[in-house]
Amino acid sequence: MISAYILINMKPGNSEKAITEMRKIENIVKISIVAGEYDIVVRAQVKSLDKLLKVTDNLQMIDGILKTTTQVIEKEMTS
Amino acid sequence: MKIRIRKRYLFYILAFSSAIIAALVSGLDTISQFYIPDPLALGVACFMFGVIISIIFSLFFSIKIKGKTIGQKTVDPSFQGARLLRKQELKYQLLAGGGNAVMTIGYFLLLSITGGNVSVVLPFSQVVIMYLVVIESFDEKDTPTLIEIQSAVIVTFGAILGSLAVTGGINQNFIQTLLVVFLIINPGWVLLSIYQRKLKLLKFKDRPNDAINIRLWNVIFACLITSIIVIAYDIFSVSDHFMQGLVGAFKNYFWVGLMAVGTFFNFIFYIRALGIGKASTTQAVKASTIVFSIPVAILMGCLGFTAPFTSNPIEIILKIMGIILIMLGIMTYAFTLTKAYIFIHVKPGYSVDEMVKKLWKIKGVNRVTAVAGHYDIIMKIRTRTLVKGYERILRKVEEVPGIDRYRWQSVLKEWEDI
Repeated sequence: MISAYILINMKPGNSEKAITEMRKIENIVKISIVAGEYDIVVRAQVKSLDKLLKVTDNLQMIDGILKTTTQVIEKEMTS
Repeated sequence: MKIRIRKRYLFYILAFSSAIIAALVSGLDTISQFYIPDPLALGVACFMFGVIISIIFSLFFSIKIKGKTIGQKTVDPSFQGARLLRKQELKYQLLAGGGNAVMTIGYFLLLSITGGNVSVVLPFSQVVIMYLVVIESFDEKDTPTLIEIQSAVIVTFGAILGSLAVTGGINQNFIQTLLVVFLIINPGWVLLSIYQRKLKLLKFKDRPNDAINIRLWNVIFACLITSIIVIAYDIFSVSDHFMQGLVGAFKNYFWVGLMAVGTFFNFIFYIRALGIGKASTTQAVKASTIVFSIPVAILMGCLGFTAPFTSNPIEIILKIMGIILIMLGIMTYAFTLTKAYIFIHVKPGYSVDEMVKKLWKIKGVNRVTAVAGHYDIIMKIRTRTLVKGYERILRKVEEVPGIDRYRWQSVLKEWEDI
């Protein structure tokens, strides 16, 4: 399993609609709306890097998304 | 399409479901007590049926349809099918099962001291929330904050007020019965909830443990331990509580069986909630059982299984005050949790692996990940107030050598797959 964070910058406007679209994408396990440099942080869990590309591609198609930055997780400590 | 809901909602849905089922079970408990008046025999009967029902349901939930088990589709997405106990689970299951047995025996002891009139002392078992708060404050990762302690106190007092009976009268063994509650029942419950939580948080091959197997094995251990204690008691006092329990269980299989089914689902939801929230928070939400059990108690009174529901105005006022306090306390828990991401750039020449380990030691840190990309480390933190988030977490993060720059991103809203 490969996990990654995808950091998203949005165009101001209809973010509610963009999030609804995002929630339909396969392999996305978490969506957080954040305040700061980015607007949305998405966590994806995929079987291969190919699938990760599919997730980012699907995200890019959504109207309102300006830019995505993908951070692949190498090691994780969690409770 | 998968259902994606807000994790916080899921926690409250699970904990409230567990509380509602527990309230219904308390009604069945009253009926079973009516048919099997001997408390030790009733205990044996409950656990025996508990084991049978848990095995039946676990096997039913293990049936696979289109590659997924029925259990996975309905009650717990982590469930892969009934299985044997794993080695890592043994110690925790012994402690949780022991806790369950001790709590049950304590309850019976209380019944025998008071002659069945436990309504005055049993409400004090709600203080278990405070026990959990104290234990969590020793735990690195789970230190309760002021707001959590406040909410725990509010819910505990509410629960005591809501379930206290003023008409029961205080008998002369009051101190003795209180000691049983505080020294036997509550510690038993603490063991049960802390170790069930630990079991739920265990991971096997990157998959979270499931509630169905945890419950199945817990009831098996509790049944074994209780049976041993009751048989030993029978041998020493030359009595036959154990046999009475077996006979009583099969004579009243309908009510005892129904109770075991209720208890099974009560625990499945409770264990799943424990996997998401802290033990004290889960317990506090579970205290709402008191609110839900009022209509059940009224019904039982109407059907003639117990004395009619109180008409004493003082007791009704106390109950209303208790319900308001419980609800207020739970709402405070629900609406004060803040989460944030911290994105970190590491200076060249520092080991990211070492830094991840150091950052993980900070209290309130939920997740630390080493990532490849624009940043080097992404942390997820949880805090009840932003001030504490700064004082307890951010300042500690800054002290870790090797941090070049960091960015704080407060989470405003979140959805998650469970």
